[in-house]
Amino acid sequence: MSETTAAPSKEDVVEMISGYRAQVSKADTEDLDSLELAWLLHQAEQRYGVELDLDDADLSRMHTVAGAAQVLADLVGGRGDG
Amino acid sequence: MPSETHLSPVATGEPSAPATGEWVDELLLAGPDSELALHLGAPLDRRALRALVLEREAELVAAGLAPGGSVSLRLPPSLAFVTVLLAAWRLGTQVSLLDYRLTQHEVDQAVARLAPQLLVQPSKPATGALRALFDVDPAYLPNPAGVPAATPHTLIQLSSGSTGPSKIIGRTAADVISELDRYNAIAGIPRRGERAVVLGSMVHVLGLVGGLLHGLNAGVPMVVPPRLTIDGILKALAADDAPTTLIGVPSQAEILAAVAEPPALPGFRRMITGGELVRPELWRTLTEGYGITLGNMYGMTELGVIATDIEGAHRPELTPAPGIAVRVEGGEVLLSRERSPYIGLVDPTRWADGWLRTRDAGEVDPDTGRVTIKGRLDSQVSIGGLKVDLTEVEQTLADAPGVDAAVVLYDEGIRAYVSGVDTSAVDAWLRERLAAYKRPRAVHVLPALPRTSSGKLLRDRAALRSAAEQAADPT
Repeated sequence: MSETTAAPSKEDVVEMISGYRAQVSKADTEDLDSLELAWLLHQAEQRYGVELDLDDADLSRMHTVAGAAQVLADLVGGRGDG
Repeated sequence: MPSETHLSPVATGEPSAPATGEWVDELLLAGPDSELALHLGAPLDRRALRALVLEREAELVAAGLAPGGSVSLRLPPSLAFVTVLLAAWRLGTQVSLLDYRLTQHEVDQAVARLAPQLLVQPSKPATGALRALFDVDPAYLPNPAGVPAATPHTLIQLSSGSTGPSKIIGRTAADVISELDRYNAIAGIPRRGERAVVLGSMVHVLGLVGGLLHGLNAGVPMVVPPRLTIDGILKALAADDAPTTLIGVPSQAEILAAVAEPPALPGFRRMITGGELVRPELWRTLTEGYGITLGNMYGMTELGVIATDIEGAHRPELTPAPGIAVRVEGGEVLLSRERSPYIGLVDPTRWADGWLRTRDAGEVDPDTGRVTIKGRLDSQVSIGGLKVDLTEVEQTLADAPGVDAAVVLYDEGIRAYVSGVDTSAVDAWLRERLAAYKRPRAVHVLPALPRTSSGKLLRDRAALRSAAEQAADPT
């Protein structure tokens, strides 16, 4: 059974990057650029108290809000690849 | 395909071939064997760098390249990029740089215009989000249509052109060497015994000359974190206690400022950003949070570094680098440059009588001689430190099948308005033709684009936004 301890949702991802987007006056879009992704990873580490060491395959799925939420949910919710 | 003037030597009394390679040994590779030359994921001393460059030179020769020849590099930031570039220069060839993010379509166009004898690209596609460094095995592809260097330039770069195709910018070895001299003469620039963590890409002018070449010339090892995560940048800063300068763009300063409690970074002394000035609030957060100075540099592909405020002491003013004359005419910043940097193009609106027109608005303080840059006068914008010409994006979009009309402007990122098609068709077209950083963040489809009373396409942000809102929600 996998736990569902508040795994990050799309809304959480949007909320985490909204601070950065507000600072640099960027519109809300589904696509994430590399700086938004760097910011998101750092925010997620702080919020969920985890250290994220992602490989290229994970990161390549994170160029959209939905993809990023999915990867973070896998990692923070406990990935079943043990 | 746009028709292009073929590259031909300009009758100016300049030499007609690129410099022979002695300058590479004398100014870039020379130094104590055991001195750290670079840190690209792993430390590399000068002896090892020299050995790698010789190996690459043999590979280039084996691929058919000879002194006076021409080669295009389509390599991402990597040790392969550094060593192939230095080897090609050492061999006395003309090197053109193609951004590795360009699409195949863009690369094909560039190769058709530049006619390099050899194209060097990764043997496997280089991908990886947030990567600042790639592990690349170069493949050498001879180009049967290639011709030897037809001009004396050692370095060729393409700019995003505001009218028609991108401009071809040529720099001779002497010009690059004079930029290295300028760097050495700028007060406060990193010197031997210091190190530089470079976030800006080494395939563009700031990272290339300010990071890589100045570093090799002055004994300031360029350190590139393998990944541009916040953690990756902080680790690179923390790895050594030597005085450390961070070179990047304003948006990278933004993400560093996000760190609530930065770790102890005893060597971290200063950050220098290229491109637009950082916001005052960010400047304060970063300088106080990290105990560093935050300075600014202004430069362009045509000339390299132009004016600096290394310590951030005169914000927003910049002191022209030694040897650079700046004047303002009709609100536009002009720079002294003996010869036109553009190849195959005589455009007096770009360069005339020893002055290069920057298309940047600015002011010079007559008392101090310092210059203040006030933004672009044309359609060029900076996206994460990379220049994008909105005219190029708009033209590409207007050429898409089914598109009746297109307007592209900068409004919280690159934003496009089109009529006549659905977005999915346009998306595929753009993906094939424009590198990701040039593509609009949003494409709005309207039944018809708003026009002025004389029938011209309206470029008013607010009017276009409200037209898009109405189209999305007609109630």
